[in-house]
Amino acid sequence: MRVRRGKRKSAPQKTSTSLKRKPSGGSEPSQKKNLPTPSSTEFVGRVGELRLQYAKLDCRTVIAHSYFTTPWKLLPPIYLDETGAAYTLLVNPSGGLVGGDGLSIDMNLDRDAHVLISAPSANRVYRSEEKLSEQLITIMVGPHAILEWLPEHTIPFAGSRFRQAIHANLAPGAAIILWDALASGRMARGERWAFTHLENEIQITTATGESLVERYILDPATDLGRVGLAEEWDYVASLYVVSDAVSPEIWADLESKVAAILGELPGQVLGGVSRPAAPGLAIKLLARTAPDLTHMFDLLWAVVREALWNLPPVSLRKY
Amino acid sequence: MNTPSLLEGLRFVDTFFPSGGYAFSSGLEAAVQGGAVKNSDQFARYIEDLLRGGMSRREALATKIANAAGSTGKASAALEIDRRLDATKLSRESRMASRQMGRQVIRVAADQIRAKPVLSEYRDEVESDRAPGHLAVTFGLTLGACGWSPEDTAAAFLYQTAVGFVSAAMRLSPIGQHEGQRILGEWLPIIERISREVDSDAGMSSWSPIQDIYSMRHGSLEWRLFRS
Repeated sequence: MRVRRGKRKSAPQKTSTSLKRKPSGGSEPSQKKNLPTPSSTEFVGRVGELRLQYAKLDCRTVIAHSYFTTPWKLLPPIYLDETGAAYTLLVNPSGGLVGGDGLSIDMNLDRDAHVLISAPSANRVYRSEEKLSEQLITIMVGPHAILEWLPEHTIPFAGSRFRQAIHANLAPGAAIILWDALASGRMARGERWAFTHLENEIQITTATGESLVERYILDPATDLGRVGLAEEWDYVASLYVVSDAVSPEIWADLESKVAAILGELPGQVLGGVSRPAAPGLAIKLLARTAPDLTHMFDLLWAVVREALWNLPPVSLRKY
Repeated sequence: MNTPSLLEGLRFVDTFFPSGGYAFSSGLEAAVQGGAVKNSDQFARYIEDLLRGGMSRREALATKIANAAGSTGKASAALEIDRRLDATKLSRESRMASRQMGRQVIRVAADQIRAKPVLSEYRDEVESDRAPGHLAVTFGLTLGACGWSPEDTAAAFLYQTAVGFVSAAMRLSPIGQHEGQRILGEWLPIIERISREVDSDAGMSSWSPIQDIYSMRHGSLEWRLFRS
């Protein structure tokens, strides 16, 4: 997927933390090549780039380098427990994505870093007559680093056009928990599965090239792109847990526990868990309501954290 | 397509072919036990939804790409789409079932259609675990080598899959042979449409969350007739 990047009127924001070890990533503006660089002010605030470099410093994970342009804002990491894991909220104060918006996130975790990512609110995608709203996320998780990617769900408004890609690469010993959830729309307004186009791609690849891929394209107005039987549900979510540093026995035990949890809300949540081609678990679920979805996520996240790292869940502050 | 090509390919479409497909339900058994499929109408909708959303831009697309590889004798495109398909099949049981059936197809094809070295080349890739050998890919590769068009190959693959589901449904629920034939006939237009409309250049995608979930749940059923 391509996200447009443009010359910005707003000054890019950079931060840097002094480290003994030189970060592997650069701190200069986008180094991506072969992308258009329109000079029009049309793209001010609509083509936002967020780059984050995390490193382990003493007992804490810190943001070693950052770079962001409007509409992204960056708050200092929060430390929710004694593990030193850095919790970062992805803040987009613009209120959502409109047609033509192109946001990107490039995230790098150095060796042994531990990062939790979430967002203060749902990702709203507004109606667009023509242009797509795009979000491209590229993640590199360094050796023995941990990333817990736990954003709020996406709400595609009626008539919206949205494309998202999340590509994560894991170094040896790295681990990722990746949660991705989609709402049918603004249910309170009677909008359900009324968007025009929605495309979502998630790819997680290990150091040895094993990968799992989820990619769907929904164009409800077309024959092959219709939502189908899933229309009776209001939330669709995936939780992926991948690491090459976990034994098959632990995966098997965790799979059994997850399967049991997924059966706890019969009629309200329909879920399944299995072993994908990459080492880990793939969990898919459908939920009737947001509280059901949230409750199920809390249960799943807790059991995964306990099984993999013997850590209790933490309360994710949203402010 | 000439008659020798038709007959050469038909062997691989026929349910008589020993792929082992009778042992798999691709999650249908879990859907029946879970109450999502209770009668023939629900069964017909469930599978049509799977063919349209889950398999059209994934298995049918892979079949078309592999067909072109078999036709041109260049296996690289088949290998690439095979690996991609493996990554997208998140349910272990369904993934392994597809690989097992695909391996049977390429073994027989490579052994018996010796004039097409791409088949033995791909069999070697599968046997040495360099290629997953999914059924959609080896089936497409084989029928491409036999001279079938991409559209006919995709249609044949989907038809074979649909027959497999009807066969499984007849063992899992009170659906008779005549009812099975009626349902199969109702699916023919969507099978034809998918095989014609799926664009090989569009990239692989799939949307069948309900069927995916039941496929994942199959492994934890207390009693099972099928292996997936």
